Amino acid sequence: MTPLLELRGLTRSYGSLTAVDQVDLAITRGERHALIGPNGAGKSTLFATVAGTLRASGGSILLNGQDVTALPEAERARRGMVRTYQHSSLFLDCSVLDNVALAVQRVHRVAHRCDRAARRFRRTEAEARRHLDSVGLSGRTRDKAAALSHGERRQLEVAMVLAAEPALVMFDEPTAGMSAAETERFVALLERLPEELTVLVVEHDLDVVFRLARRVTVLHLGRVLASGPPQEIRADEEVRRAYLGAARTEDLFTEAGGPG
Amino acid sequence: MLDGTTPAVEPLRTGTADGADRPGRRRAVVTVAVVALLAATPLFLGPYPVTAMTRMLAFAVLVLGVDLLTGVTGLPSLGQAAYFGVGAYTAVLIGIHLTPDAMVQALGGLVMGLVAAAVTGWVAVRARGIVFLMLTLAIGESVHQLAGTWSTVGGSNGLAGMPPISLFGGPPLTAAGFVYWWVLAVAVLVFAGVALVVRSPYGRTLRGIRDNEARMRALGYRPALARYGVFCLAGAVAGAGGALWAQQARFVSPGDMGFEVAALALLSVVVGGPGSLWGPCLGAALVLLVRDNLSPSIGGHGPLVLGTVFIAVVLLAPRGLAGLTGARILAAARRRKENPS
Repeated sequence: MTPLLELRGLTRSYGSLTAVDQVDLAITRGERHALIGPNGAGKSTLFATVAGTLRASGGSILLNGQDVTALPEAERARRGMVRTYQHSSLFLDCSVLDNVALAVQRVHRVAHRCDRAARRFRRTEAEARRHLDSVGLSGRTRDKAAALSHGERRQLEVAMVLAAEPALVMFDEPTAGMSAAETERFVALLERLPEELTVLVVEHDLDVVFRLARRVTVLHLGRVLASGPPQEIRADEEVRRAYLGAARTEDLFTEAGGPG
Repeated sequence: MLDGTTPAVEPLRTGTADGADRPGRRRAVVTVAVVALLAATPLFLGPYPVTAMTRMLAFAVLVLGVDLLTGVTGLPSLGQAAYFGVGAYTAVLIGIHLTPDAMVQALGGLVMGLVAAAVTGWVAVRARGIVFLMLTLAIGESVHQLAGTWSTVGGSNGLAGMPPISLFGGPPLTAAGFVYWWVLAVAVLVFAGVALVVRSPYGRTLRGIRDNEARMRALGYRPALARYGVFCLAGAVAGAGGALWAQQARFVSPGDMGFEVAALALLSVVVGGPGSLWGPCLGAALVLLVRDNLSPSIGGHGPLVLGTVFIAVVLLAPRGLAGLTGARILAAARRRKENPS
């Protein structure tokens, strides 16, 4: 079976700095895959390159076996690859309903219709409300997105992403800046996502990662350090070293104020 | 910008499609009343004020187009006067050479405004923000220059001698009141059309582009396409406004499409409240009132008054006239909701 998403030698460099270096990765349909790594490992760059926000410097990205490396972001989204942003990216001056309806009306191919009022497109409206319902925001459809709390904005993001009917959802640090209670609610929301949906998540909170993911890929200095089931990653010596820094702490001192 | 606004003002900024039925009915009643009042004015006022109001209505049509771009889509434009001028010249040329039929002239103005916007717009819509503003300014000034030097359309003298309009093959409409009614009818039609666009899924798409274009792409939209569409639409609206303007004046010159007109149209939108539709129309009336009627009586210092109004609006009512009343109505409604008697 062809993997839903496959990266072959994906590379992205900024001048002489190679932020993503020859990354190979395959994600099968329905998989919950987490991407972790210390700060500066290239997670966000990899993420943006896969989504199409950034252009790849080398290698290729295959969605459903088709090469999408040259396609712009909008075209990748149309083919089912939808991302969220590290900082909520919403339509703040629009109503909560409008935010989700924007995703739905594109899927329903009515985004450029202007022959009747939007609320007369019943199917689109109903679908948007259903998605808001599923994330628990049905009481706030008429509020401006700007009036939502941080946690609610994250819920709205999920509703928007699902409303775009993706095959692959990519979450970029979804629980960043959330309170413990909000994180808990959010993880529960992600756990309820439909089985057939493939999820790639970049996450700092390892508790969340080990709870959600069935496979984890560790990125370090732009390269894949390890990839496998959570238990394996947890036990991996190299991963520990990447996360905790090189060997023993006293090395830091011997090098700077060494005997030489 | 968003942090400073209280939620109380926000729900009225743009006509979101999510309005409940009761305010909708109230809005319909107000609309009918306003249109009836406007229609009745020639019965009370003399020819001069009626002519002034005709000009305001024609200018308001241009402003509606500018608002579609600036307020709804977030693309502030200084080039709309060019399409306004194209519409005006088209109407005068049709009037002189083809037919006095007002409908043919207005339709011609609309179509030529659309065509002119379609031809020039694809350059402009690639840019955003200040670059877009400068590109539209360049387009506006180029068309203005063209009108001033092209002898076929009268060069800097403009085109005079347009016969009075007529409707349905009837007699020429020379009375100011009849011309006013015709212009009012078209203006109401355009207003209704623009209102429909704003409420439609396409209007939602445009607001999405205004708020967050990158997110639109991530949802699979091609924003450039939608932007081009609204640019053409705004050009058509401006062209219709220009035709109405010319039908009232029966004369057109490059001065009708200069930078001043474009700037005043943008000012009307800012003063009225970008994104609202009736606000900018009020703004258009206010701006023309100051320029044409108040300015001569205060020694030509109209621009000073407009500048003061502009600064006052930016400082005191960032959402324009529409935001002012909207906030008041909403605050009252909230108070009622909190203490139900």
